[in-house]
Amino acid sequence: MARLAGLLVLSFLGLALFYPLSRILALGVGEGFAKALANPYYWERYLWSLEYGLLSAFFTLSLALPLAFLFRRRFPLREAFLALSTLPFVLPTPVVALGFMALLGPRGVLGVDLYGTRALLFLAAVFYNLGLALRILLPVAVRLEGPMRAARVLGATPFRAFLRVGLPLLLPALASAGLLVFLYAFSAFGVPLLLGGPRYATLEVEVYTLLAYRLAFPEASALMLLEILTLGLAVLLYLRFRPYPLPPGELLPASWAWTAGLAIFFLLLFAPLGALFLQADPRALASAWASEDFTPLSLALGNSLRFTLLALLLALPLGVAYAVAARGSRLLDLLGLFPLLVSPVAVGLGYLLAYPAWRGSLPLLLAAYALLAYPLLARALLPALRSLSPNLLQAARVLGATPLRAFLRVEIPLVFPALQSGLALALAVILGEFGATLVLWRPEWTTLTLAIYERLGRPGEAPFKEALALAALLALLSGLLFYLLDRGRGRWG
Amino acid sequence: MLRLLAALVFLALGWAQEITVLTHSSFSLDKGLIARFERETGLKLRFLKGGDAGETLNRAILTKGAPIADVIYGFDNTFLSRALEADILLPYRSPEIQNLKATLLLDPSFRALPVDYGWVSLNYDRAHFKDRSLPKAPADLARPEYARLLVVQNPATSSPGLAFLMATVARFGEDGYLDFWAKLRDGGVRVAKGWSEAYYTHFTLYKGDRPLVVSYTTSPAAEVYYSEGKYQEPPTGNLFPELAFFQVEFVGILKGTKNLEGAKKVVDWLLSKPVQENIPTEMWMYPARRDAKLPEVFRFAPEPVGSVRLDPKVMAQNRERWIAEWTQVVLQGQSPEAVRRGRR
Repeated sequence: MARLAGLLVLSFLGLALFYPLSRILALGVGEGFAKALANPYYWERYLWSLEYGLLSAFFTLSLALPLAFLFRRRFPLREAFLALSTLPFVLPTPVVALGFMALLGPRGVLGVDLYGTRALLFLAAVFYNLGLALRILLPVAVRLEGPMRAARVLGATPFRAFLRVGLPLLLPALASAGLLVFLYAFSAFGVPLLLGGPRYATLEVEVYTLLAYRLAFPEASALMLLEILTLGLAVLLYLRFRPYPLPPGELLPASWAWTAGLAIFFLLLFAPLGALFLQADPRALASAWASEDFTPLSLALGNSLRFTLLALLLALPLGVAYAVAARGSRLLDLLGLFPLLVSPVAVGLGYLLAYPAWRGSLPLLLAAYALLAYPLLARALLPALRSLSPNLLQAARVLGATPLRAFLRVEIPLVFPALQSGLALALAVILGEFGATLVLWRPEWTTLTLAIYERLGRPGEAPFKEALALAALLALLSGLLFYLLDRGRGRWG
Repeated sequence: MLRLLAALVFLALGWAQEITVLTHSSFSLDKGLIARFERETGLKLRFLKGGDAGETLNRAILTKGAPIADVIYGFDNTFLSRALEADILLPYRSPEIQNLKATLLLDPSFRALPVDYGWVSLNYDRAHFKDRSLPKAPADLARPEYARLLVVQNPATSSPGLAFLMATVARFGEDGYLDFWAKLRDGGVRVAKGWSEAYYTHFTLYKGDRPLVVSYTTSPAAEVYYSEGKYQEPPTGNLFPELAFFQVEFVGILKGTKNLEGAKKVVDWLLSKPVQENIPTEMWMYPARRDAKLPEVFRFAPEPVGSVRLDPKVMAQNRERWIAEWTQVVLQGQSPEAVRRGRR
């Protein structure tokens, strides 16, 4: 069965990823590559992407580490805060970008204009990835209690215990969290596109600009190759870091004061979202509903929900198949991660090149969505599947169940919570997808995300207000759907 | 009633075919005109806004063979060669061609027909310069006290940005234009992604901090027109006709259209007198028809004398290089000499 699942995943990857990608690369390797690499400007873009990725990881970790230590304690509303911390990660990029504009943009509520500065971009990256890093660091931080206490008993000062025992044990988790943040920031698209101005375009934005505005396939594919190589390296490193086996830990007690302190912290963290809701005008929502100048909200909302549902139906079997196949095969595990390395923009363009007859047809868009979503679904499922005892399956088989039946009736129910979390994550990714949609877009398919982008690009106060209102709506929608599916469990990361 | 009846008849006979027009985001026409066209022809019009003019054209090129529209309108003379080379358009000798200004017929194969024209031009905020002196010559812009007042568009992502870049090439020459831009860069010029960001976010008239902006010669007239009586005189003015860039916008029928006859009707309609006379106050361009009357408010938009015109062939050959060189100098901060050395 694992073999069959593997075959399914591989054939999908071949059609939906490797073949389209090879078409782009074929254009870029050779002359385009040489031309792009000879141009110092592209190296500048590359270096900035690296800097953005590395510094984002650094800033995020410096905030996530103390936060993880705070969360080792048991205090009221702890789970709610944890759930909240991951909310930004599932927010669509235009929402986050608009949130920061509403807070620190030219017309922001604080009256401080950081638009087009590095600071704003790094703030957005930290906002996005803090919850992700916290989720990875927290389980280790909780389990550190035993070893650190042992060090204290042996006479170490608290600081020394942390430095000599805690930190080394945390290192793998720190590294893998840092690498994940790097991965996301290095290949960021929406935030630098909307907030960075031309100065701070990442490689991904440059690829989009080269293709959408200049049709410069060779240069774009050369840059894409550079991006894939860098991300590939990061993923290889990421896979190397395995957490040390640590004794189970338990939460330390804490007080209400703790809660109050964290509440203030989260209030600050969510200030951009707060500003977004503060500036969002419900009347703008009404004017957007049947807008004649832009895609009406009714259509965009319908599209978003419809596409998300259809793509989930595609991503679910793929994700499950991939998790089953990857459980047994390291190679498949690696191959299945590939979609995370490839920019959505590049995927979209690859489709246009590889399947000219299908241009402008819905299956292409849905395939792109499924491709981008299924690895996340599978990543959430995989640990749960791996921790299942093989005896269970064997028992079912001995009792006469076919492999498929045993899998569906025994294993799936056992990993159901993880599956739900994975679905929630996949849903959030699809609902907020930006890059591939922008490339494969047909006007009648405009989703909520694109409806926001569309309004942002037009003159005047009214479209900007509509964009803010739509962003607030999208934030609510993805937050709500995510919570309904995941219920704050967050068994992923 | 008649309208309803007509609609019913069309529906019953399956005549209410839809014609899709791919346009840039600034597209706008009077709704009554559109309704009348639909009534008279039984065609249903749909307008797809594809972003900036260049971006829109690229969408059409990327979907060549399975076009997302029947007609494309709005690509300009700076991109004409790309549209023709990509071979996405069908030739069509519209009967209206004889009514168009001959100087606008830039495509002898009649695949791209001119619909309107205008000038990309520097605008300044009159209020800001009431007690301050304006730059006297284009070269003055590069002085630090003016460079930091100017916002331009990125020529890689914006067609007015590209037009202004080309104007500087024409004015300062292949050797000089990079030096000019390097000085603008050092002086602190701001680069916006597109026209609306530049005009509505950074221009002082809309609470930005830049009183000089790259826009159109008709923008001052548009300000008066939209002000609903607030302005009797334009609050902004045009600067340096010798830096104004002549732009023509074209329409073409996309290869692969399923309704060639309908597409032809749309082209004829865009070139017809009522639509042509509607264009000035909707899109702030001049009509391509010789016999189209201009609205009264266009007295604030005189045609600039001595503006820049470039041969489409020259633009086709150099467009990509100019954009790349501009990017290197302005966004990346390379020295003009290094970029010029790199040409060889």
